Amino acid sequence: MNRVLLLVFGLLSLVGCQEKAVLFDSLESEDTGLIFENTITETDDLNIIDYLYFYNGGGVAVGDINVDGLPDIFLSGNQVGNKLYLNKGNFQFEDITEKAGVAGNSTWNTGAVMGDVNGDGLLDIYVCAVVGILGFDGHNELYINNGDDTFTESSAAYGLDHDSYSSNATFLDYDLDGDLDIYLLNHAVHTQESFGKVDLRYKRNYETGDKLLRNDGGTFTDVSEEAGIYGGVNSYGLGLAVSDFNNDGWPDLYIGNDFHEDDYYYINNQDGTFTDQMREYFGHTSRFSMGNDVADVNRDGWPDLISLDMLPEDEKVLKASEGDDNFQILKLRTENYGYHYQYTRNMLFLNQQGYDYTETAPLSGVAATDWSWSALFADFDQDSEQDLFISNGIAKRPNDLDYINFVSNEQIQKKMESTRLMDKEALELMPKGNVPNYIFKGMGNASFSDESERWIQRDSLISGASALADFDGDGDLDIITHNLNRSPIIYANKTDDKANYLKLSLNYNGKNPFGIGTKVFSYHNGIQQYKEMYTVRGFQASSEPIIHFGYGETTKVDSLKIVWPNGTYQVITNVDVNQKLDIQPEGTQPFDYNSLKPSEKTLFEKAENNLYLDFTHEEDPYINFHREKLIPYQVSDRGPATAVGDFNGDGTDDIFFGGSKFKEAQMFMQGDTAFAASPQTIFTENRVTEDIDAVVADFNKDGKNDLFVGTGGGDFSGTSPALLDALYTQSDTTFIASNLLEMFQNASVVAAEDYDGDGDMDLFIGNQTLTNRFGTPGESYFLKNEGGTFQIDPNNAPMSIGMITDAHWVDVTGDGVKDLVVVGEWMSPTLFENVNGTFTQKELGAEPLNGLWQSLTSFDIDSDGDQDLLLGNWGENSKFIASENSPMKMYLYDFDKNGRTETIVATQKNGNYYPLEDFDELTSQLVFLKKKFPDYKSFAGQTIENIFEKGVLSESTLLEVHTLKSGYLKNNAGSFEFVPFDNRLQVSPILSFCTFDFDNDNQKEVLAAGNYFGIKPYHGRLDSFSGALIENENPPVLGHFLGLDLAQKSVRHLNIIEHQGNSYLLVTFNNEKAEVYLIKKP
Amino acid sequence: MPKMMMRFGSILSVCLLLLASCSEPPQPITISPDDFHNSVDKVTEVMIHDIFSPPVASRIYAYPNVAAYEILASQSDDFSSLAGQISDLEAIPKTDNPNVNYDLAALIAHMDVSKRLIFSEARIGAFQDSLYGIWSKTNDAEFQASKKYGMEVAEHIAAWLDKDNYKQTRTMPKFTVQTEDPSRWQPTPPSYMDGIEPHWNKIRPFLLDSASQFKPLPPPPFSMDKDSDFYKELVEVYDVSQEITKNGDDSEEIEIAQFWDCNPYVSVTRGHLMFATKKITPGAHWIGIAKIATKKADYDVMNTMYTYTHTSMAIADAFISCWDEKYRSNLVRPETLINEHMDDSWQPILQTPPFPEYVSGHSVVSGAASEVLTGIFGDNFSFNDNTEVPYGLPIRNFKSFRLAAAEAAVSRLYGGIHYRAAIDNGLDQGKALGQHFVKTLEMRKN
Repeated sequence: MNRVLLLVFGLLSLVGCQEKAVLFDSLESEDTGLIFENTITETDDLNIIDYLYFYNGGGVAVGDINVDGLPDIFLSGNQVGNKLYLNKGNFQFEDITEKAGVAGNSTWNTGAVMGDVNGDGLLDIYVCAVVGILGFDGHNELYINNGDDTFTESSAAYGLDHDSYSSNATFLDYDLDGDLDIYLLNHAVHTQESFGKVDLRYKRNYETGDKLLRNDGGTFTDVSEEAGIYGGVNSYGLGLAVSDFNNDGWPDLYIGNDFHEDDYYYINNQDGTFTDQMREYFGHTSRFSMGNDVADVNRDGWPDLISLDMLPEDEKVLKASEGDDNFQILKLRTENYGYHYQYTRNMLFLNQQGYDYTETAPLSGVAATDWSWSALFADFDQDSEQDLFISNGIAKRPNDLDYINFVSNEQIQKKMESTRLMDKEALELMPKGNVPNYIFKGMGNASFSDESERWIQRDSLISGASALADFDGDGDLDIITHNLNRSPIIYANKTDDKANYLKLSLNYNGKNPFGIGTKVFSYHNGIQQYKEMYTVRGFQASSEPIIHFGYGETTKVDSLKIVWPNGTYQVITNVDVNQKLDIQPEGTQPFDYNSLKPSEKTLFEKAENNLYLDFTHEEDPYINFHREKLIPYQVSDRGPATAVGDFNGDGTDDIFFGGSKFKEAQMFMQGDTAFAASPQTIFTENRVTEDIDAVVADFNKDGKNDLFVGTGGGDFSGTSPALLDALYTQSDTTFIASNLLEMFQNASVVAAEDYDGDGDMDLFIGNQTLTNRFGTPGESYFLKNEGGTFQIDPNNAPMSIGMITDAHWVDVTGDGVKDLVVVGEWMSPTLFENVNGTFTQKELGAEPLNGLWQSLTSFDIDSDGDQDLLLGNWGENSKFIASENSPMKMYLYDFDKNGRTETIVATQKNGNYYPLEDFDELTSQLVFLKKKFPDYKSFAGQTIENIFEKGVLSESTLLEVHTLKSGYLKNNAGSFEFVPFDNRLQVSPILSFCTFDFDNDNQKEVLAAGNYFGIKPYHGRLDSFSGALIENENPPVLGHFLGLDLAQKSVRHLNIIEHQGNSYLLVTFNNEKAEVYLIKKP
Repeated sequence: MPKMMMRFGSILSVCLLLLASCSEPPQPITISPDDFHNSVDKVTEVMIHDIFSPPVASRIYAYPNVAAYEILASQSDDFSSLAGQISDLEAIPKTDNPNVNYDLAALIAHMDVSKRLIFSEARIGAFQDSLYGIWSKTNDAEFQASKKYGMEVAEHIAAWLDKDNYKQTRTMPKFTVQTEDPSRWQPTPPSYMDGIEPHWNKIRPFLLDSASQFKPLPPPPFSMDKDSDFYKELVEVYDVSQEITKNGDDSEEIEIAQFWDCNPYVSVTRGHLMFATKKITPGAHWIGIAKIATKKADYDVMNTMYTYTHTSMAIADAFISCWDEKYRSNLVRPETLINEHMDDSWQPILQTPPFPEYVSGHSVVSGAASEVLTGIFGDNFSFNDNTEVPYGLPIRNFKSFRLAAAEAAVSRLYGGIHYRAAIDNGLDQGKALGQHFVKTLEMRKN
């Protein structure tokens, strides 16, 4: 009796542990017969110290090698022999390695791919190998399929027996001559001890340089050099993606490089050569680039891209691992050594229809998946949205900070120094990096939801190469992962008949029977889906050569458009779902690639010669983070000021630009054909100031425009005269400075209005924060104009309501008098209601709405006749996370008792609050924490409450942010409701709005622009916003499509200038040349 | 025997035993110079673990020594207190408790001040606890009295050291690199670390009237003109390194360079693996030499701590003086220029430390320490330097402290991390500073 009960309990508890994954079953080798273990054996001569990619794993290639309709599996082994398994159906596999003769002869195999190299309709297998270091022997092997389950190794005959440091290869017809060429990805073993200059990549090196191998009728010729392919000693090639990224019909390449070498974006020049256009199209990339994948995730018909990195999600790992460089090293690496901006996290690049890429991994929710190898986009649940599988894990974490700083030294250093041997026991001390694989459900609009806990069995595998196939022929896509020291897993997809699908097999011409490079567009219910036939995806792997679409409950596909590699296309209409279609070219017609290009109806074009306006803002080299080490972002780079007005009384618009610290402000006068600089002695004298905002008005009513300039910069402190704002009036034709009130503040905004209705212009001066006391609000002022001089308004006392960034005069209450609305950081939008020149402070909106607000304007966005308020916030594409329920918190306190306040920012993760800063950053200011936490391990995973003593946090001033979304306060008859903008407006901070009738429809629109770089490398670079035209409550049009080029630059002001009967848009950037666009008024 | 009786009997015998042991008169606790050596060595060990930069390490050595010295000197007719002689130090509190063992109190104060200055307190704590256990067993009354007094003095010293501006400098701005000016220092491979301790000249010196009291001659003006002195010195670094490398790993120069490397944090990348090899700082090396000398001279506790204290204060002030110049001249390292202009794959034999080039810290510190030690032990005091043996390096023999200092200085040229001027001028600066210590400080009465 007892025994039976125990047994029952035992079974129950087993069931309890094995919570069923809802979308995939995990099939083990005992289920499938895939008896293969990629066992890695460490020896004294061969381990991670001798070979940096010791744990990268083998390759997996999937395809139907015996043409029985079922995809078979080839697995390459690093130190063990390769295996080939025939698919017997129902997830059962038979080992035919011996008969097939594909076990291989190389010492260390890596990527494995299938492709029809000789064009006989049978899939051949190409296996890469690392050869030439550490006694690794052999060469890349090409197994030509004999059609009878046997293969002949023929690499030498085809010229593919490369003996170099190969990690992977892919098939593409780059010259569109009909046969398949090969891009061979090699990896460097060059020291990472110094960056070296970028031009190392131009010097070709046989072992490490990537190669483009042209198929010359049965043999492959290395054409890398003439084709413009880099081949240096520093290209740590791990990521390899082919796609027609620019939709011109010619395949392009994205190469992901590990370490400091940039990734390459090779655009096919259509003449047998490629040009790396990384910088033109990408603002930044992943740093330790690993695998990648391409798919149209936002369903706009253009290929998007994910490039993987190694940022951990788990706080315990995150805070114990080496992360991004600091601000200064990044600056050095980019500015001195010439590398592009790279950051340690996954990058999701949305292809803006060929203009450039918007990087949205944090916004999309896929930024941190730890040590990630392979990414595979597919519609796993068949709802027409691309989902994403990411394999990951590493046997040992060499970037563990305790290991680097403490353990390694004491345990292994001496041994290594003296003998160069590696003690296995010491290696054991390096923490393991087994991480559950990730799977994300595509939610539309390029956002993803993490379903790792639900869709797949939580595992502790170290998974590398992975591939997609419909192994059981039921129409949904299964996944196979190649695992380290363990047999492979098949994730068997159980979508089955819960949602509809279509599977296409292509039967193309002659030398390319599988139709590599073919594009398929699918249309149903007004939904477009787009796929390209490239099988080498993810990492060191190739997937089954099929095209797969999901349709949810839709039973009929309206049409399929198939564009063949030779530039012809055909359309199939009214296709039943849930079938496999074999498609060959039939009734094809020439395809016009221009039809894929976005319409050219732009509203802006660059003004000819920039109207000769030659102003370049140069930010001064002061690094705010060097003095205030723990602030979340800088305040020292918010300039320059821009003001447009008629300064010389000739009736035309002239321009004032402020200068940064020690750089003088400049004035440009409009002439008949151009703007000309108009130097002013007073600006030279006052060049010490950093000018943040300015307004033009005839303050003293002498008939000439004057200029009020708010200065700041977060650098000068105390009663430094450089903090005093300036009023410049005109005497004859020169500007002179008037004495001003002693307001030693960092100005952020200057807004003029005759708020007391006495006929002259009064001012509101918003001041952001005190120098060296980030988070403590500056004092802001209402200045009353008394006959041309300003005084602090006795009716409206100075106030310190928050870190004000912008202010706007608008009649909110509808009493015909303009009220003031101010926004700022760590505060909510605030209304100052104007009653006879006296202001009453009021909150706007019902819910708590603290944000990192940057800008505002008024606009009737819902066309109901009243003014709504458009608000620029930080966006949701950085490490900051905030919501009403889990606000981002900032503690302001003198933590180290040095007489100055510091700030600690904490965000919520799994119900707890953790500091954003890592241990090194925190202790660079708060040294005492080193006494509390003797190593990284003890610090990692500690909540903010555990890090600081209770009393300290409760004594701190707590500031909060409830939303980071930009949006608008919708005016519903005087009550305001916050409505967030579309996701496309959340990729960067919005720093400026400009209202104008840009499209000449007699209705005004609002142009929004932004981007901001004053953040630590941990956040990445908020550079992806190209601006947007907001017309109404519908999703806005992005700047790329309007003819604006505002991405990768940080916009400070948008102004309208009238010149010779035309309207122009003046764009002022921080640290860039100001640009003028003609508003075309179509 | 009835049960009851047996139990009673055994209790009785235990009591008797206890009485017997208690009744023996307690032995006085004796403290030997080795106990102090062990305490200093423990500080060295923890500093290596915690990774303190050379200037910070020099400060950590000096203050515990002063605490111990002040207690010992208060009981000696042959030694004078430092109170009134060095910046802001006031006389330590006195005690009239007859149970105080002053050697013991000095050692306890040494350990306690040390513990306050390092991070990994547990590491000193364990060492301290085991000693406390032994002393308490030996003579608890003496131990408790000495501990109370030792801690009192430690507290006094802690209040004094707390005002040396160290805390304030922790939170001063990071060093901002000026990459536009080719003569300016910039971070070097492999870690491209930030310039360390840019505000060290704001630390209160022990004896100097200001950080710039021994300001060295300026370096040759920066110039990439092939005929300029600066360029010639740059070429010399490159040529010397090529020459040494040709001679191979066994060459005398490489041995010298490695012997005096004394870099507390060398970042190493092997394959995908990064780790830090950690060694003692240059200051610690000279502390080690001081230990060797006191042992060779068979010094007692008082003289031993006098040697440590005098040497460590001179080293601490040498770092202040040296760092003052480093961030004044802010000179670029040879590695940066050689990679940029001469040989992009050149690596120095030693890893370039993360701070400006001029003047060489080794030269200033070695100059200062060798003068102080010569003042104590005389010139021509030969010794076998085994300081670096724990780090896998050989023993080297020196005929005098000054010769050792000269070798330490030139090792930086061999190592490829300093120009000649930084070495020569640095050594002069250090010697002048050391002689100032010898002449000015009155510690051992003559």
